[in-house]
Amino acid sequence: MAGIYLHIPFCVKKCDYCDFTSFAKSGEMEGYVDALLLEIGLTARTGEYPASFHTVFFGGGTPSLLSGEQMQRIMAALRQHFSIRENAECSMECNPGTATKESLAAYHTAGINRLSIGLQSSHDALLKGVGRIHTYEQFLKTLQWAREAGFSNINADVMHGLPEQTMEQYLETLKNVCDLNLQHISSYALTLEEHTPLYVRIKSGEARVPDEDYVADMQDAGIDYLESRGYHRYEISNFAREGCECRHNLTYWQNGEYLGLGLAAHSAVRQKVWTRYANTASLEEYLRLLRRGRLPKSEIIRLQSGEEMFESIMLGLRLTRGIDRAAFSARFGLDVVEAFPRAVESLRKRGWVVESEGFLALNRRGLDLQNEALGFFL
Amino acid sequence: MAYPNELIRNFSIIAHIDHGKSTLADRMMELTETVASRDMTEQMLDSMDIERERGITIKSSAVRMFYTHSDGKRYMFNLIDTPGHVDFNYEVSRALAACEGAVLVVDATQGIEAQTLANVYLAVDNGLEVVPVINKIDLPSAEPERTAQEIEDVIGIEAHSAPQISAKNGTNVADVLAAIVSIVPPPKGDPDAPLTALVFDCVYDNYKGALSYVRVFDGTVKEGMRIRSMATGHEFDVTEVGVFTPSPLPVDELTAGEVGYIAASIKSVAETKVGDTITLADRPAAKPLPGYKQANPMVFCGIYPADGAQYEDLRDALDKLKLNDASLSFEQETSSALGYGFRCGFLGLLHMEIIQERLEREFDLDLVTTAPSVIYKIKLTTGEEEMIDNPSKLPPVTEIELLEEPVVNATIMTPSEYVGSIMEICQERRGVFIDMNYIEESRVSIHYVLPLNEIIYDFFDQLKSRSRGYASFDYELKGYEKSDLVKLDFLLNGDPCDALSTIVHRDRAYAKGRAVAEKLCEVIPRQQFEIPVQAAIGGKIIARETVRAVRKDVLAKCYGGDITRKKKLLEKQKEGKKRMRQIGTVSLPSDAFMSVLRIN
Repeated sequence: MAGIYLHIPFCVKKCDYCDFTSFAKSGEMEGYVDALLLEIGLTARTGEYPASFHTVFFGGGTPSLLSGEQMQRIMAALRQHFSIRENAECSMECNPGTATKESLAAYHTAGINRLSIGLQSSHDALLKGVGRIHTYEQFLKTLQWAREAGFSNINADVMHGLPEQTMEQYLETLKNVCDLNLQHISSYALTLEEHTPLYVRIKSGEARVPDEDYVADMQDAGIDYLESRGYHRYEISNFAREGCECRHNLTYWQNGEYLGLGLAAHSAVRQKVWTRYANTASLEEYLRLLRRGRLPKSEIIRLQSGEEMFESIMLGLRLTRGIDRAAFSARFGLDVVEAFPRAVESLRKRGWVVESEGFLALNRRGLDLQNEALGFFL
Repeated sequence: MAYPNELIRNFSIIAHIDHGKSTLADRMMELTETVASRDMTEQMLDSMDIERERGITIKSSAVRMFYTHSDGKRYMFNLIDTPGHVDFNYEVSRALAACEGAVLVVDATQGIEAQTLANVYLAVDNGLEVVPVINKIDLPSAEPERTAQEIEDVIGIEAHSAPQISAKNGTNVADVLAAIVSIVPPPKGDPDAPLTALVFDCVYDNYKGALSYVRVFDGTVKEGMRIRSMATGHEFDVTEVGVFTPSPLPVDELTAGEVGYIAASIKSVAETKVGDTITLADRPAAKPLPGYKQANPMVFCGIYPADGAQYEDLRDALDKLKLNDASLSFEQETSSALGYGFRCGFLGLLHMEIIQERLEREFDLDLVTTAPSVIYKIKLTTGEEEMIDNPSKLPPVTEIELLEEPVVNATIMTPSEYVGSIMEICQERRGVFIDMNYIEESRVSIHYVLPLNEIIYDFFDQLKSRSRGYASFDYELKGYEKSDLVKLDFLLNGDPCDALSTIVHRDRAYAKGRAVAEKLCEVIPRQQFEIPVQAAIGGKIIARETVRAVRKDVLAKCYGGDITRKKKLLEKQKEGKKRMRQIGTVSLPSDAFMSVLRIN
């Protein structure tokens, strides 16, 4: 399995907790799309990418700021230059208040078959509190248009631990989303990133997030609730109906190959050794390099086998299924328990690990303290 | 050729922090063309980064300038820059003893401060003539007339004809130079008498060894002479004498009345002590200059490497700092919590902070520092007496007949509206009120006797914050007094942590025990199990708090663009854990040991 990630770094307004590469200047979208098309062509010419791709994912930023026609051009270029599988999963992130009935239909026509909609909460006051531009009503509208356009594989992002959020509000949001019969739900704990407006407000006492233990209670209750509604937890923050897991994201967690295109996008490809690339995070430089016919790479990390192995553990142990031992052995020439005997022993001693013939996984307590667990493997 | 004494003026500058001492010194050097303006840096005489950043002077320094007066004569000025802080009182007194005059700089927007006054009295006691200067007249809030009146009222010297200057803009700085010539008397002294030279500081020079900063009172010193320290009896051969321009410049000789340095193959500054008198080995003076005393450390704390492997590096660094700072003392100690480290003695809290900062900055060391302590005097039931500089070394209560703690005479100057809150702080800290005087209508001087251990941490900060920065503070050691003191211990998950032990007054032990336990709960990161934090006196638990167990320690998101960053984060987390101190089963961050102090 291999995927293509495309980054669309524009937003109507940046959310208060966001530290991704994005800008509130969508007026530059057209020039950016031109550059992205150049990057697709240039990358294809290097030949250094997987033979075929099973998934495509547009992330951001806000990819739903792309016009239907822009999406059409990008998808066409991808198909022209790369081998995209017939039944490929093609996802895009979409924020309520940006997509229209028409644009959603056009995305679908262009080949997008999975939507990930940023809801975060069904309480408008909480949305406003973190600088989201939409209401719950707009989310419902977007969902309706999406379904009318033919989308049948849809995810909603929700959050817990938002400023002033209560357990009841969080569970009500989950109930609302479950009632909508979506295929997939991502539920994240709010992560306070330095240098974001929300971080500053919280440090200054202007805003308040719920107590750490309360957030933990929310998460635990949320997992139980989603499971009870038939959404199984397959990754730390991701829940899906059987067979509706996001295949693109599974590629990351299986430490698979992906090609990242666009501003600040990352790639991981098997060359002589396992190699990670990062594109420049400067929009100006990104556009300038591509106009001169050069790839906008700013970082190349060639990993040693030990590092590649650790990353496989770090990512694989995010999945509730765990690390596929056969795949691990095939990749590194030894079983995961042979590779990390002491770490696995530490996990056993703490009772955090579930071992079966095919998989090595963390149980729920182990997933709660995954950082600590990974420390044993470092 | 010896410079005629009547054309020499030796003086220092006395000023409160931020009143403009270093700026005035800079302007004087410019005006006398001592330093070409292209070579000027701000605060020329403060060569250490810490001095420039904090706006303070730690080491004394000196500079020779030549000034042509209106009488057409060319005067030699020796400016001796002194530390302004109470911690370095003794150094200041010796630097002042090297001068005949002192320029008193007072900020026209602030008035006289307690430390300034203490230093002015030191100057007057040393027989110096005081040249008042009123600075910062360029500021809109300047009140030069009122400031002059205050100087007259408080110090009792004529100040209405004092130069009113702006050191920043250079306004009227020439008047200061003229006033120095007319007010400061020339040095007396006999170049042919037996040598007496007062050491007012020593610095270590990588090429020349220890340089003694001296003021020659009588006699002459030059290269090749054999000199003797009258304090230690050690003898050395002079390898070089010189003056400060302000960088060291070798000269043929230093004679009576002059200021300069002596290099004499002295390996460590510990061998030439501030206040020492240097004389000639073959023709010694009958008696040394007055005023020498051994400077004793008053404040102690444990300094440990955060990484045990850096123990030797820490020792080397302390050795190097000691080369330049004879008042720093240290000896090896071990703590069950912190491993191998050093018990270090300092002149005061500022001195302690400076040494810690220099160890971290100049030697790139990560340190764990324990709460500062004073020296307690213990009378044992056996009749013996012991001095204890580390709370964890206090003998069991049953062996103690009585405990004595050091107390200080404290002077606080403040606008009268803050008297109430300042007295409150002093009472809270077991102060005994002595008296209060009005310096002028709206300013008072309050005297208290305070236990030293109550002022070594954050007393000054409290004073400043409760007086909107207006109060100033000075103290001197009064002696030892009997006190009802107890040792407060702390247990983490049942294991005692010696590095957290502290000595407090019995009446405050409960409140303090609870406050520290609460504070520890804030700074100890949650671990996989619940951690009881207990305070105890002599085995009896007096307070208990709990660090709750960690519930979640996991990255919510990890997608394609996050992998490298998250891996680094995990590595950092792991590194941070390695740097934590293991007390029994509990991991403690390095700064927990100081945080014990940061309680209200």
